Amino acid sequence: MNWFFVLLSLMVFPGGLFLLAGGMAYEWVDRKMLAVFQNRAGPRWFQPLADTVKLLIKEEIIPDKVNEILFIGLPIAALAGGLTAALYVPVAGLTPVYSFPGDLIVTLYLLSLLTLCMGLAGANTLDRFSLIGATRTLTQVFSYEAPFLLAMLGPALVAGSWQISDINAYAGGHWLILTQPVGFIVAVIGFMGKLVMPPFDAPEAHTEIGAGALTEYSGRGLAFFHLAKAVELIVGLSLVSAFYLGGLANPLEFLVKTLALLFVLIGLQSLLTRMRIDQTVGMWWRYGTLVVLAQWLVIILVMRP
Amino acid sequence: MKSHQNFGQQLLKSLKDWARVSSPWVLHFNTGSCNGCDIEILATLTPRYDLERLGVKLQASPRQADILLCTGPVTRQARERLVRIYAQMPEPKYVVAIGSCAISGGVFRGCYNVMDGIDQVIPVSAYIPGCPPRPEAVIDGLVKVLASIHSPGHKIPSDILEGALDPEKVAA
Ligand code: SF4
Repeated sequence: MNWFFVLLSLMVFPGGLFLLAGGMAYEWVDRKMLAVFQNRAGPRWFQPLADTVKLLIKEEIIPDKVNEILFIGLPIAALAGGLTAALYVPVAGLTPVYSFPGDLIVTLYLLSLLTLCMGLAGANTLDRFSLIGATRTLTQVFSYEAPFLLAMLGPALVAGSWQISDINAYAGGHWLILTQPVGFIVAVIGFMGKLVMPPFDAPEAHTEIGAGALTEYSGRGLAFFHLAKAVELIVGLSLVSAFYLGGLANPLEFLVKTLALLFVLIGLQSLLTRMRIDQTVGMWWRYGTLVVLAQWLVIILVMRP
Repeated sequence: MKSHQNFGQQLLKSLKDWARVSSPWVLHFNTGSCNGCDIEILATLTPRYDLERLGVKLQASPRQADILLCTGPVTRQARERLVRIYAQMPEPKYVVAIGSCAISGGVFRGCYNVMDGIDQVIPVSAYIPGCPPRPEAVIDGLVKVLASIHSPGHKIPSDILEGALDPEKVAA
């Protein structure tokens, strides 16, 4: 019966279906609260589900002169990356399904798979908007990824382990947001860059470059990219709140902490305006990386026996 | 046995219809209007009327749109682009003609440089009269298009499209 539980944990809970449903629910909270902050009524509760179903049953146009295998495969790879990353993260406050020393690094790389796939998907098509979108997407990856990685490694440094479940357990007794505020801020802002939320939405700026890297995607591919983003939202939120907001020990804590973090993100989204791509890069490399490195130095000096 | 199959198909069809009706993404294209209608469309999308509560999202790429909102009489220059945008949209797709000009050419009817209405070029699912129509009228028209999704009979007259895509006929 062992394989049965393996399959269950991969397909239904906490992987697969649960993640997709949770991701859509969080996406709805995001859109609804943003609408409330802008004095609007906002979408109905089933909106992300309806969008996904509609995209899945829509015609998928494969444009001329693209590599068809890449065009169809990249969205699947992006979704698979997000779903796999969730297996190492305490989603819903439960212990991760799989865990091994150093899974933090693997998870962070799996989380950036989505952005890489989007960049490649844009570069794969001939459309000029998607080419510009791809360039911006990949530029943005190289700007926020390093500071985000460094910010996530700060808790690992004090916990003395690179295993997510260990860090989660350590963070349960220590609110690292108090001892490493700089790392928390950089992690949150890096996470916004990861999800291409405003003010870091230059890669898919609708008013300038169509739909960015995904301009040529119509049916299923677009649905998979949207789902991957929703899954990444929930995985990233649980990762950041597990590390910095005192750990995730049970489902209630998960709900309260991730939603609180999401509200902060929504507030920032509705407050800030879009940054140009060179401003994004400049901000991360001039300030973000440096302050995180300074914090690392402090941690190492303080922790020295 | 057969009734089971029918039931399954019915269920699938109602799921598809529900998804299509609940999530219409629109694309806005100005085919030569005086901008009056365009401003009304933008007013419809503002927080005051908030179309997102009906699931409407303004898309920038024709590949991701379900409904094409057209304004203005089709000028001969815009015609080819209108047809190309229509061809770029994935099925199922709907076209809404907004404003008197889009319906019949309006004040520009009979001018040497216009085609006298969207339906001379591509098939139209709904007409919203007015010069320009109020946002309430635009929302009403959109709701009527959504209601028509439930009913069958939405077809593309392929001869219109083929003729329109032919560059020689476009030039003529
Ligand atoms: S219907 Fe009226 S407002 Fe609209 S494009 Fe024509 S003239 Fe302008």
